[in-house]
Amino acid sequence: MNIFIPLIAGIVFGYIFRERIKINLDKPMSVALLLLIFFMGVEAGRVEINAAELFVASVTFAVLTILGSLAFAMLMGGKLR
Amino acid sequence: MNFLYLVLAALSAGILVGKYTGFQFGNSYEVMLYALIFIIGVDLGKSRGLKEIKELGKIALILPLATVVGSLLGGLLASFLLNVPVKWALAISAGFGWYSLTGPLLAQYSPVYGVVGFLANLTREILTILFYPVAIRRIPKELAVSMGGATTMDSTLPVIVKFGGSEITVIAFVHGFILTAIAPFLIPLILQL
Repeated sequence: MNIFIPLIAGIVFGYIFRERIKINLDKPMSVALLLLIFFMGVEAGRVEINAAELFVASVTFAVLTILGSLAFAMLMGGKLR
Repeated sequence: MNFLYLVLAALSAGILVGKYTGFQFGNSYEVMLYALIFIIGVDLGKSRGLKEIKELGKIALILPLATVVGSLLGGLLASFLLNVPVKWALAISAGFGWYSLTGPLLAQYSPVYGVVGFLANLTREILTILFYPVAIRRIPKELAVSMGGATTMDSTLPVIVKFGGSEITVIAFVHGFILTAIAPFLIPLILQL
């Protein structure tokens, strides 16, 4: 199933019923998330993973995406100041 | 922060179960993913972020745009450095720090890149919490908000407001809101390339 279907259905539902939805969505979201991450871990556990490589890759992505964002924010946002 | 421990515990427990047992969970993963995406959609739909975007003016759109372009270029550079296929690198970067969305979305296609997507975006959130106060010594505080990506509307907002001042609250919230709205569309789009 395409991921856009539940996403757009949710947005439309949320927008139409925005005045009536009084429940806090944090709890169902947290439960769904924890289960999802558990299942993701199960799938990852079935594959041979090099933890050191994974760590290096994660930190590299994090640092470069942050630096890229800051550089472009300075470049594009600087003109607004 | 407590929830972060739960998230890491769930991931570790899952890896142990996957590695040492033969339990099968059928299509529970997909069912939970679609449930989560639907709830995220409902949350976006009922959010009042659009109202605040109008009030902020130009910077409301330019700052998130800079974050999108900068993150994707950073991901592209990481792809060359780490020898990761460009498609995966861009998809990981398009999470903008939203680890709980990026990891599961990527894991649908590759468990390994799912974990990298999860950890890379979690690290982005942690680095923002640690280094936003340092970054604003040299970079204008409203522009430094871009380092937090989508997390600036929730998890990193308290740090940003504490060190950047309360006048930064709306910019940070709107920045995070726009990226939160973009990420669920952009990641699957990149994965379909």
